[in-house]
Amino acid sequence: MMETTDDLIRNLVASDKGIGRLPSPWRRVSLWLAVALPYVALIVIGMGVRANLDELSSTRFLIEQTATLLTALCAAFAAFCAVIPGVSRRLLLLPLLPLTVWLGSLGQGCLQDWLRYGAAGLTIEPDWHCAPRIVIVGAIPAIAMFVMLRKGAPLAPRLTMALGALAAAALGNFALRLFHPPDASLMVLVWHFGGVALLSALAGAVGRYLHHWPRAPRRA
Amino acid sequence: MQKQEDDGDSGLRHLMKAAQEGDRASYNRLLRQLVPMVRNAVRVQRSFLGQADIEDIVQDVLLSVHAVRATYSPERPFAPWLAAIVRNRVADSGRRYVRSKSAEQAAVGFYETFSPDETNTTNEDGSVDADALRHAIASLPAGQRRAVELVKLREMSLKEAAHESGMSVASLKVSVHRAIKALRTRLKKRE
Repeated sequence: MMETTDDLIRNLVASDKGIGRLPSPWRRVSLWLAVALPYVALIVIGMGVRANLDELSSTRFLIEQTATLLTALCAAFAAFCAVIPGVSRRLLLLPLLPLTVWLGSLGQGCLQDWLRYGAAGLTIEPDWHCAPRIVIVGAIPAIAMFVMLRKGAPLAPRLTMALGALAAAALGNFALRLFHPPDASLMVLVWHFGGVALLSALAGAVGRYLHHWPRAPRRA
Repeated sequence: MQKQEDDGDSGLRHLMKAAQEGDRASYNRLLRQLVPMVRNAVRVQRSFLGQADIEDIVQDVLLSVHAVRATYSPERPFAPWLAAIVRNRVADSGRRYVRSKSAEQAAVGFYETFSPDETNTTNEDGSVDADALRHAIASLPAGQRRAVELVKLREMSLKEAAHESGMSVASLKVSVHRAIKALRTRLKKRE
């Protein structure tokens, strides 16, 4: 039986016990990192930081890692903005900047490999371990992100979930590069960046099922 | 004008702030103030909808406001926060309408037809020869005519027709049977 708007208001008011306001998006990013970073750090320590420190301190690696981490932070911020009604949609474009730097840095790496080694520098070998590793490293960040996003408004559930997954997967990839053996840029581009993009796209595809509005009972 | 809007927004902002802190009276006032605003906004965005459909969306918006009231920060204006929810729920109802329509199939009228000539009382242009039937009924004896009128034309049950005409159910049955037989003969003769 369909209730009237008056009845609905009466029921909503009766069920109201007050509610804690959500913190600002940046504060929520900090809270998310407070949960995600210790887990990611434990995995990196458990797997052992890779030995070749020369490569770790190279400019290109530092740029890539910085861009990856910034992508994670900006995507998390954008996802938390996306669940607040009335916030400018332009903020959702923020992760595009570090994402472009990350992609550009990988593209430049591919070009350098090609100039240095010719066609041999651009070979793609199967590396099926990358995506599952990104999933494992990004699992807790992703779960924490999902729980936090569900407290917001599902204004654009596909984009929100894709951004949330991008944040978790980028953080997972950041950690992965610290213990995963070094790879040619094209391999990183295909398997690492591709894995992150695939996970984000999958989360976006099911976003509407994961996060949706409550619905009033329909009239017959 | 701008000042009035600011005052209105400030009032809603304070009511929501109090509601978030658990003040039910403020929450009740807030929701009741929102109803006409939301109803108008929905009507402007979906002017072709009927009252019941508009009310469905208004209720969806109220439920949504309730579900995500934690996302409102009193430091920000209330109107854009509410407008984003209304816009989203209106679009959502449009998507739901399209989905429900795409799942439905247009019903094709499969009319019951029988091939024997006696069941096909319509003319070639689709019309029933109503005049011939009316004349045939008018020429029936009074009792039979009354029985046909009550049971066949006014579609009464035998019990109701018996009560209306003062005839017994058995004599009504006989009268209807005889009347149909007579009508069939007369209409056949006419052909």
